[in-house]
Amino acid sequence: MSRREMLRVSGLGFGALAWQSLAAAEGKGLPQEGRAANPLIPRPPHRSPKARSVILLMQNGGPSQMDLFDPKPELKKREGQTYAEKVEKFQKGSEANKLLGSPFAFHHRGSCGMEMSEVIPCLGSVADELCMIRSMYTEHNNHTEGLVMFNTGKIFPGRPALGSWVSYALGSVNQNLPAYIVLRDPEGYNTSGTLLWQNGWLPAQHRGTEINTRGAPLWNLQPAHPIAPEAREAQLELLARLNTKHRANHPRESELEARIQNYELAARMQLEAGELLDLQRESADTRKIYGLDNPVTAGYGLRCLMARRLVESGVRFVQVFPPVKPQFQPWDSHSNVKTELERICAACDQPSAALIQDLKARGLLEETIVIWSGEFGRLPVSQNGSGRDHNRNAFTTLIAGGGFRAGHVHGSTDEVGYRSVEKRVSVPDLHATLLNQLGLDHDRLTFAHHGRGETLTDSSVTHAQRVPELIST
Amino acid sequence: MASTVFWEIGLRGRVQYSIYNNCTRRKGTVEDFFSHFQIPIRGSRVRGNALTAPSRSSVSIRIITLTKSSLGSCGPFKGGSPRLRRFLPCSGCLTLVVATLLWNSAVGAEPVHGVHWGFKPLVSPPVPSTRDLRWPATPVDRFVLARLEAAGLQPAARADRRKLIRRASFDLTGLPPTPEDIQRGLDDPSPDWFERLVDRLLESEHFGERWGRHWLDWSGYVDVIGGDNDAGTVKLGEGKWRYRDYVIRAFNRDMPFDEFITQQLAGDETVDWRNASEFSPDIINRLTATTFLRHVADDTDENELNTADIRHGVWQRTAELVANNLLALTLHCAKCHDHKYDPISQRDYYRFAAHFAPAFNPERWLQPKDRNLPDISTTEKKAADQFNQEIDAAVARLEKRRAELEAPARSRSIEEKLAQLPVEIRADLKSALQTPSEKRSEVQKYLADKFEKSVLPTPEQIRAALAETARAEVAVAEEEILQLNHSKKRWGMLQAVYDVGLPSPTRILQRGNHLNPGDEVSAGFLTALCGPSSTGDKLLGTDPGAPWVGATSGRRLRLARWLCDGASPASGLMARVMVNRMWQQLLGVGLVETSDNFGVAGSRPSHPELLEWLASQFIQSGWRIKPMLRLIMTSATYLQSSAALDSPAADRAYEVDPDNRLLWKQRLRRLDAEVIRDSLLAVADLLDPAIGGPAMPIEYRPDGMMVLKGREGASPRLPSRRSVYVLARRNYPLSFLATFDQPIMAMNCARRTPSAVVSQSLTMLNDAFVEEQSAALALRVDQATAHASPAEKITKVFQWALSRPPAPDEASWCERFLSGQTSPVAADEPAKSMVRRQALTSLCQTLFNSSEFLYIE
Repeated sequence: MSRREMLRVSGLGFGALAWQSLAAAEGKGLPQEGRAANPLIPRPPHRSPKARSVILLMQNGGPSQMDLFDPKPELKKREGQTYAEKVEKFQKGSEANKLLGSPFAFHHRGSCGMEMSEVIPCLGSVADELCMIRSMYTEHNNHTEGLVMFNTGKIFPGRPALGSWVSYALGSVNQNLPAYIVLRDPEGYNTSGTLLWQNGWLPAQHRGTEINTRGAPLWNLQPAHPIAPEAREAQLELLARLNTKHRANHPRESELEARIQNYELAARMQLEAGELLDLQRESADTRKIYGLDNPVTAGYGLRCLMARRLVESGVRFVQVFPPVKPQFQPWDSHSNVKTELERICAACDQPSAALIQDLKARGLLEETIVIWSGEFGRLPVSQNGSGRDHNRNAFTTLIAGGGFRAGHVHGSTDEVGYRSVEKRVSVPDLHATLLNQLGLDHDRLTFAHHGRGETLTDSSVTHAQRVPELIST
Repeated sequence: MASTVFWEIGLRGRVQYSIYNNCTRRKGTVEDFFSHFQIPIRGSRVRGNALTAPSRSSVSIRIITLTKSSLGSCGPFKGGSPRLRRFLPCSGCLTLVVATLLWNSAVGAEPVHGVHWGFKPLVSPPVPSTRDLRWPATPVDRFVLARLEAAGLQPAARADRRKLIRRASFDLTGLPPTPEDIQRGLDDPSPDWFERLVDRLLESEHFGERWGRHWLDWSGYVDVIGGDNDAGTVKLGEGKWRYRDYVIRAFNRDMPFDEFITQQLAGDETVDWRNASEFSPDIINRLTATTFLRHVADDTDENELNTADIRHGVWQRTAELVANNLLALTLHCAKCHDHKYDPISQRDYYRFAAHFAPAFNPERWLQPKDRNLPDISTTEKKAADQFNQEIDAAVARLEKRRAELEAPARSRSIEEKLAQLPVEIRADLKSALQTPSEKRSEVQKYLADKFEKSVLPTPEQIRAALAETARAEVAVAEEEILQLNHSKKRWGMLQAVYDVGLPSPTRILQRGNHLNPGDEVSAGFLTALCGPSSTGDKLLGTDPGAPWVGATSGRRLRLARWLCDGASPASGLMARVMVNRMWQQLLGVGLVETSDNFGVAGSRPSHPELLEWLASQFIQSGWRIKPMLRLIMTSATYLQSSAALDSPAADRAYEVDPDNRLLWKQRLRRLDAEVIRDSLLAVADLLDPAIGGPAMPIEYRPDGMMVLKGREGASPRLPSRRSVYVLARRNYPLSFLATFDQPIMAMNCARRTPSAVVSQSLTMLNDAFVEEQSAALALRVDQATAHASPAEKITKVFQWALSRPPAPDEASWCERFLSGQTSPVAADEPAKSMVRRQALTSLCQTLFNSSEFLYIE
């Protein structure tokens, strides 16, 4: 297909292309030069940033907002009554449409006084660091679509993840580690697997790299059998000669260049990543606040601690996942909100709060955005007696650090928590605001794909706009 | 509440848009509206409240008046956010969506008649003429060259012989050529040496492993049954691997594709296996073929997941997978509503899915374990069961006799042991042990739990206590039992698909929800693929009835006939899809880049006429795959060099066609994951070439890596089989293969996306497997060139690993490397030779890491 034809078929015409060239000429687009040589070279953002890295604590499964963050006394009052509005259901079991009050009490926490549930006492203790968005909403009621949406901006798999965009935009401050790192439960993937850190059509270097928190941090980081450093060096030198010569026959294959670069990155990673899991340098107190001394919190706690260490060493984006056992979607409380939430909160509450405290204590919170969020929320009506089904119309997201307004509650839901009603924030709005704090304009961070200047937020379709009220002044 | 939408298509191609309805609160622009729904406005641009049409379309005024009731409950847009409601004040929203879809189908990417290219009947176009008459070797080349000439580009030079031999070998067998293969090709003086090479490779039994693997990707093959979400648990479909072998055999035999498809969709409906007195190899083959329909994740073996919605999901995804694999359609989009882009209605979806409903009937569901079909006939099974029952009876008699013989010694031994216990519990314990375990009281259970082990004698103790004659008789009985058990009849399992009882009515499920069934539909085909004059229903009505065999609905066989009849648009689409995938494997990217989507939202073919021509050839040549591969591979297009040196011609080509869609050179292609692993084994001479059989098991290591079972700590020189025989898990592939982009089989994979991430470099540098192969190649080189100079050894390494001798500069780099590695000379000879071997190993590994090793040039 000719370029002309492609543009015609794509329905965009020359406008988009011209815009891109124009933007580049005016210096508005990100510099493309030199990128092929090293796609992870650190790059300046569009404007002076408030934050330089992001930790996404991806609480998959759909944490129940009305049991954790969004108190609904009305629910308690009308418990067992039939809700007048027919709610959108995902599974069976909610047909009776009976309102279900929260089994948990809510308390005012911190000096800001934001209300939080008793089941997350530790997150409550860092309330003054949190910007709580109670008016989030999303587009799909199934986990995979919801998670893909939260991580990539659309419900369909195939687009680059938020972390890939950040890696693409800003590169890596630390040239010895990938810019985008994923810390999942070594027990397995959740149902969406690697979809949540895919690079989509961005170059492959921007795909999230999984770092294991058990065993070696990266597979094959060290040779299976020890090899003398000078021998390895000579080997890499010979390899570089052979590859450079081979590359000369294919001067425009950027993949070959990436491969050559990768060997250099690999060598640097061997030095640096090896130390990542060495927790000896962490004090006993630190290990304790993350809950490493308790089998219930140790797994997720270790990942939170690793996240801090990675951010400390310059990694741009770290995505942390909760435990996959006994449930692949740990926040998915379909049958009993009380027991299911008590179980998952026991594992996730303390380490999440510890991460925020620890970053704060080390002066890193200012420049690190910590997001705590699920992919959607849950219904005000009961399912299977005491559970709740999925709800895309309202959920709560917590953000700490990175210039977000601390101790602030944004937006609200209706009286039973079914819908976000006031100051609604869409997932693309949230993405736009996150990029903004990283010094990036979501409409100007583009990647040419199929004749279109693609963006994370695709604001011409999603109307994404940053939410200034979330940002501290 | 009625809404009226006016679309006025003016003379100058300008479209005026206006909406009238009872509600006038609408705010926001038209663009807002369309973009919110992500509805592409094809061939036009939206400005403010007007659409600008692409060209001088025919003049027409379209007025659509729709009411909510006429739209049914297409509820996805109900409710919604305030932002949505801002411009969707009432049911007019639905009207707008429908109107837009009508608009799109009226204007379409191809104006006027609007039939999507992929859905048109296949018409073989004339082969174009070209200015250059010498370059084209086949008609394929004239299609390619015509486009190149029109763009003012020139094809690249032909690749050299070594590279062509290597390329052809990888492409057809997935294995590198041996130095002998290279020499044979170099020495062949005949002008058709390459054609003959291709023929030889097509006849290799490794051909089926390579192309079978492609088919397994496209059809979503896995060895497991369920969703495979737990790394530590493997739920195997017993005997599922036989389908993999079936595929390999089919490719090796060049089974015509129409037959291949018919067997896979409906092999069970082409033989009366239910009444066969015995299962012939042909019957087993045809039943095995239907495993094709068993790749979708089916978790209903867990009782809590054996629910109506999951059953429906298995059935529906099976239909979706078939449509995606064979027709490259995104059928799943039409499950809940009419397809947004393609002319596939929701009704079409359920009619198509109805073909699979008798086999996957949610109302007569078979759990995976109950779908297992013995690979012997009912008669044979009955006889075998009878035989085995007799054996069991004989064994029982012998066991009884043995027990009788042992009884005195046994009770004596128990008495002795009881005597050692406190007197108070002896009687109670004895009676507890004499009571069958399920009838014991709580106290008896406690006693038995606590003392049973110490009181009951072991077989050895009983034997020792036996009298001489009794002991001999027991030994004879035991030997007999062993032999009898050994003589029992055994059989394997097939993961076949077959109709389960009479079909239930299939209904359109509103919003895809099985709790909300709508109109009943009969099994039928996709309307858009039934030609201009017939709908799927009509076609079915006029179908004289396919001659299916046995107690089955014949629906799947009819579907296969429709797909394979050679004349229907469906046949045309299936042929296009298949030749496109062949092209994709041989030239890196399909003529249609989105080889998994031939719908409107997919990409358009780079060479539409070539695609039509190839697809027609495919059908005309009797759906045979090997001749098609031969045709493509012997084209000058395929034979081009993949290199593109800096030159004005290359600069211009990159300028005009940076993605090489016009094929002004061959593409540089990274080896597939399996080919990398197999090549390492082959070069190291550790490849076990055995074809077929049960899969090599893999296991989950504590560090999260999936590795081959039983290789850890085994001799490094343990040969291994080809990667196609590694157990295929849905979510947990062998880590080595996953690193090189072997796909996760959530559904299927029409094209792989090779990456170049750092974990690949780390694997090639540090993984024990690569280390082993490097050491093995070094040993092989040392053995082949016992007293040779380092230069000769280096040449050997290059020849094995890269199919060529080193260039002078490379040779000198390598020599310097070897001497550097061995320089602090060890004292004694064994130590010296170990150091030399280590250096050579290191050199071998370096070549394995080189880009040249990893790419098909």
